[in-house]
Amino acid sequence: MIHLRSVEKSYSRGEQRVLACAVDRLDIAAGEQVALIGRSGTGKTTLLHILAGILRPDRGEVEIAGERLDRLGEAARDRHRGQHIGMVYQTFNLLQPFTALENVLLGALFGRGAGPDAKRRAEALLEQVGLGDRMHHRPGQLSVGQVQRVAICRALVNDPELVLMDEPLGNQDRTTGGQVLDLLLDLAKRSGKTVVMVTHDPESARRMQRTVDLASLRAGTEVHA
Amino acid sequence: MRLGSISLRNLRVRLVATVLTTLSIVLATALYAAILTMSEQTEQRYKGSIGGFQAVVGPKDASQLEVVLNTIFNVDVAPGLFPLQICTDLRAGRMAGRRTQVRYAIPQARGDSVSRFNFPVIGTIDEMFARFEWRYDGETREPLRFQAGGPFAYGYDELLQLADGLAAYETARRTEAPEPRPERPLIQPQWKKAVVGARVARTLGLGLGSTITPVHGKFGEFGYHEHPEATCEIVGVLAPTNSPLDTTIFLPIGLHYLIDGHEGGVFLVETPPGKTPDDARKLPVEAGRMGLTAIVVDPKDHFGARLLRQEFASKEAQVAWPADVIPKFLQQVGNAADALAVIAWLVLLVAAISITVAIYNTMNERRREIAIMRSLGARRFQILAIIVGEASLLSLFGAVLGLVVCHAAMLLLRDLVEDKTGVYLEWLQFRPWELWLVLGVAGIGALAGLLPAVKGSMTQVADNLAHNY
Repeated sequence: MIHLRSVEKSYSRGEQRVLACAVDRLDIAAGEQVALIGRSGTGKTTLLHILAGILRPDRGEVEIAGERLDRLGEAARDRHRGQHIGMVYQTFNLLQPFTALENVLLGALFGRGAGPDAKRRAEALLEQVGLGDRMHHRPGQLSVGQVQRVAICRALVNDPELVLMDEPLGNQDRTTGGQVLDLLLDLAKRSGKTVVMVTHDPESARRMQRTVDLASLRAGTEVHA
Repeated sequence: MRLGSISLRNLRVRLVATVLTTLSIVLATALYAAILTMSEQTEQRYKGSIGGFQAVVGPKDASQLEVVLNTIFNVDVAPGLFPLQICTDLRAGRMAGRRTQVRYAIPQARGDSVSRFNFPVIGTIDEMFARFEWRYDGETREPLRFQAGGPFAYGYDELLQLADGLAAYETARRTEAPEPRPERPLIQPQWKKAVVGARVARTLGLGLGSTITPVHGKFGEFGYHEHPEATCEIVGVLAPTNSPLDTTIFLPIGLHYLIDGHEGGVFLVETPPGKTPDDARKLPVEAGRMGLTAIVVDPKDHFGARLLRQEFASKEAQVAWPADVIPKFLQQVGNAADALAVIAWLVLLVAAISITVAIYNTMNERRREIAIMRSLGARRFQILAIIVGEASLLSLFGAVLGLVVCHAAMLLLRDLVEDKTGVYLEWLQFRPWELWLVLGVAGIGALAGLLPAVKGSMTQVADNLAHNY
């Protein structure tokens, strides 16, 4: 599902180039649930953005779901992300003017289309995560746990092969966050989705099948939890 | 869900800015539509009112435009008088070829009005309702029709008889002839009848059997007085024509001449060489020199019209051709309308700039929102479409609302505009250009949204996802 070879991404800071992320080799099989861990500044989020196609590496190969993202233009990477990748962020990134259902449908709109089928699928997902009676509430009217569940539904509405999560439990208590994460992992497992989670929380990482330390990827070794 | 619904939602979220920006579009569109409507309806009004007849005879010392505007469009006071004999000669074929060359020549005398609206009173003969055609569209000629009642009875022969009687009386009075002198003709009860235009009846709440009293001078101004001796019963109400005829009151022309105070100016007297005007006022008067303010003439055909153009020769009267005069007049009016239209376009331009500024100013606070949509797979062109869509929708609302405001203003102001300009605004009439105006304004709005849209579509996704604003 995911194959990275000799990937590097750096940024300019004044006249200096700062290496933000470097991965010699990373392979993740379809259906795997992998935690990417690392200290702050090791480039976890940058790597996640490279996997999503939001960023293009300066060099190296990035193959996701059979597509070489490093060779695609921006619009093609956007389309690929919309159709094949679901994303859950630390801050959930729901759009405040839209209801829970509309936020989920936004994912469909920019993915496989927000027709009547997508609406039925969005409603079914929200029912599944216990938000059947909160579909028409705006994010401001929902608890943090409910917002997180809406974000998960949005990530799953296009039935993507890959779900990327960036510190999904960062802003909430462990019990609620853990339950929601379990819910997502369960949903993903049942539909055979690959899940990659960036986290610095060891407990969250333990819920995944495999843990990869980003620092080790440069040396070409993977650390398994 | 569609991109359009995102645009719509974004407008709703920024309601105050949306309303304020929309208002500027509403004003610009309403202003532009009002100018176009006024200009178009003025042209329609003027062109539509000159089709049924071809010429107007008026006093020589007035301009052709004055003659036409006063006779056909009731603008200003009558510019002067000329002798009745000219009308008699025209009708007899003595002034423009043979008699058959003129289909009709209807005399008019005006000077009084009715009510504070100053509806003009015109003295005329019954041919005005039997022969006069107020509109000719190239196929059918349209005479005046009545929505109630019918015409008064007063023919040209009666006018000539009255002229003779009045001339005899005036001559005896002026020359201080020995008694017994001829008596002044009296107002006959059957002459105290009036026909009113549709708008006069509507505005003053008049119907058959109602009475009106002509007044001299303008309502409330110095010299204003009523003529109770000429109070008339309404015997006919004309059907609406959307022309100045709607605001006109017609009386038998004989009644006009017998109204108290009119006798002094009824006859035209030339001051002979070596005499003073006072001397002239003591000279005999002739029936044929009773004063008219206008004659509405329709030559029988092109040949008749040519004869009238070539052979009409009088030192006291001239023939004015509305078909020549009105287009020149409208061109001048049109130039003024064009200048106003430029102002309206400038207002629209300012409104478009306000859209650009209003949306552009939100771009910073929307970077995260745009980055989120991009992270969900939105392409740059979709972001561009959403923002351009906002500007277009805003302009579209504004343009539609502007037209509604324009039509509502026409409804509210139509009486005032008609009183002041003689143009009747048809507020319910929608024209094809209104659709183009709406689309044009929406298009301008879309262009105005392009700059912020490009800025929005250039938003860096990764940078803006990382921040919590």
